Amino acid sequence: MTAGSHARAAGDAVLRVRDLAVRFDRGHSVVHAVNGVSLELEAGGALGLVGESGSGKSVTSLAILRLLPRHTARIAGEVWFGGRDLIQLNDKDMRGLRGKEISLVPQDPMSGLNPVLTIGEQVTETIQAHENMRRGDARRRAAELLAAVGIPHPGDQLGRYPHQFSGGMRQRVLIAIALALRPTLLIADEPTTALDVTVQAQVLELLHELTVERGTAILLISHDLGIMARMTRRIAVMYGGHVVESAPTAEVFARPHHPYTVGLLRSIPRVADVGRPLTPIAGAPPDAGRLPPGCPFAPRCAWALAACWEEMPPLAPLEPALAAGGLALAAGEPALAAGEPRPGAGAHLLACHNPVVPGEAEAGGPVRPGFRPAPPPPGYGPAVEETA
Amino acid sequence: MTEPPRPADGPAPQPGSGPTAPSATGPAPQPAEVPASPSGAEPAPRPPGDPASTPAGGPALLEVRDLRVHFPITRGTVFRRTVGHVHAVDGITLGLAAAETVGLVGESGSGKTTLGRAIVGLIRPTSGTIMFRGRALDAKDGGYRAERTQLQMVFQDPTASLDPKWRAGASIAEPLRVNHIGTRAERRQRVRELLEVVGLSPVHARRYPHELSGGQRQRVGLARALALQPAVIVADEAVSALDVSIRAQIINLLQQLQQELGLSYLFIAHDLAVVRHLSDRVAVMYLGQIVEQGAAADLYTDPRHPYTVSLLSAVPVPDPSAEARRERIILPGDPPNPASPPPGCRFHTRCWLREQLGGPERCATEEPAPRQISAGHTAACHFTGEVPGRAAGSAAGQTAGPAS
Repeated sequence: MTAGSHARAAGDAVLRVRDLAVRFDRGHSVVHAVNGVSLELEAGGALGLVGESGSGKSVTSLAILRLLPRHTARIAGEVWFGGRDLIQLNDKDMRGLRGKEISLVPQDPMSGLNPVLTIGEQVTETIQAHENMRRGDARRRAAELLAAVGIPHPGDQLGRYPHQFSGGMRQRVLIAIALALRPTLLIADEPTTALDVTVQAQVLELLHELTVERGTAILLISHDLGIMARMTRRIAVMYGGHVVESAPTAEVFARPHHPYTVGLLRSIPRVADVGRPLTPIAGAPPDAGRLPPGCPFAPRCAWALAACWEEMPPLAPLEPALAAGGLALAAGEPALAAGEPRPGAGAHLLACHNPVVPGEAEAGGPVRPGFRPAPPPPGYGPAVEETA
Repeated sequence: MTEPPRPADGPAPQPGSGPTAPSATGPAPQPAEVPASPSGAEPAPRPPGDPASTPAGGPALLEVRDLRVHFPITRGTVFRRTVGHVHAVDGITLGLAAAETVGLVGESGSGKTTLGRAIVGLIRPTSGTIMFRGRALDAKDGGYRAERTQLQMVFQDPTASLDPKWRAGASIAEPLRVNHIGTRAERRQRVRELLEVVGLSPVHARRYPHELSGGQRQRVGLARALALQPAVIVADEAVSALDVSIRAQIINLLQQLQQELGLSYLFIAHDLAVVRHLSDRVAVMYLGQIVEQGAAADLYTDPRHPYTVSLLSAVPVPDPSAEARRERIILPGDPPNPASPPPGCRFHTRCWLREQLGGPERCATEEPAPRQISAGHTAACHFTGEVPGRAAGSAAGQTAGPAS
């Protein structure tokens, strides 16, 4: 069965990414930024991509939008959206889609706006690029949009420039532009990282309201697990260009099974941990230019088996015993059966040879008599640094 | 820090042999404007609500009193004239005890960075005093430089605060060199020790900043701050730029160093969860003023200033069920411009409580003074009693004692 027929089989998915891989040719070396990512987002859904810098989450979103530099980025895989594979789409059709059916809210509101054009010009530009509308009508529409994102006196603001707005207001303008044509998919890449806490709360609320109200699906990219908990229904955790775990949001927080997810959750200070040291993940994230063979997390993993150093396990549904929250695996037991992943809305997917079993997440390490993480094999690629 | 005592109620425990015991320097002299305590049994006691004192009532290692930093706004190029002032820090009173961590939170423009910079002497205050070990730090005083080495700073972005053309070892040795401490060989030895203290190895001394990871660079920044064996470290967003897993490593390192070296931290950050994790006491700033301060546990569980309440409710917490349940207070608008702060209470233009109370005139005309909620917990709000939440007065403002 081809992946394509599989994609079309899923009825209500607005976005379906299959084995997406992105390499950057840097002349003398190759950076493996994304290494086979599969995602699915249902219509009106909210999917979070979480990961640290260099995990490939932003590159994934730019690949979906086909905004990566053509001469250095090599893209493989499929991105199914509205019955079409965006990777195969010609430039003209892609331009027709961008801004109209898929739009982007970028991280930095200053660089997302053109400093020498007025706000009004930038909002109407988007509308007129896709819809045959007269200037006066477009301006009226722009004022309505600014009002919808909570900008006071929208009519007067159209003639002002981005530098005359605060960071929060600029981000509202970008949201207005992104939602101008009622897209079916909104990609928001760290939309509130540059904002203050109280302004972040306003912008998140606005994004939530508008996407729910209009039935817009949202792909939210963030490193902030708090934002993920508030905004998403499903989370995909990325590490070293792979999705290592993907599950409904509540499930990820309550029953994480990938050692990296466990490490991330234990790295954030919580009220219950006051006065106790945190349990950080040892070491530092890998350099995408020198990715090790096998699982990229193996050098930092307390659960590593010999197989982890050699082969990256596929993203597959959780083994029934684990999914039921039951039996602990014995150390060294073979990996999960590598079936064709069928990521339904409620599925818990995992790419791990040696999943964390219940009880171990709380302990912060493997709780198995006599278990020791497997050391790197002789001649293992990159040096393992002790201190990050 | 291993299990610092944080009892929820009961009398404030006196830290045993710690910083608040009478020291060689003796109690700090009282500035004249501070009223004498009514119950003056102890030598030089503090009024119980004095925010510059430590909660246990002993002398603070570092005391900031009514500090103001105003930056002139100028117009014109040839004939520069001052057309106004940005009131970046506007009357801050704050104390820091030995081996204590005080967290300073607030949004951009609240003046928290300016306060930190004024304390370490990078910015000259417009008025007010900064006392260190009972002695006023004054830029005109010749002794200032010696005291100054006791106050060090760790910056947010180690890429910007380390010279890209210097090896890490040279950056760490620089404070020793400019203060003429040790011979070259001794300094090299000290750099090796410092690298070890912050969890790096001697090979890292030879590396340039671009050859180090973000976490390693921040460790180098810490080693440099520790070179002169300071008593106080002002950490300005020191972990904010780091990835989650690396941030946890540096947070643990900061706590471990505090335990081993008895450091005091003024920890400036916008991340409320990190501040709570590290701090004994927390001060919340809004437009150049402290609106609320108290023991971390009190302030987070029973905030008494409407701004603190909204700040805490605005932060997304990494717990989906809690996120679904909780009620959020979304403040309208942006923080006002600190060049022209609103009259009366500076928060009144965005205050949800004032709106609930029908917009009392007092908030717009009268500046609220800090009111004592419980020992060590103050809030500058006319209507702090109207803030819904836990019944006030149940918890005394204890902080964790020194590491024992």
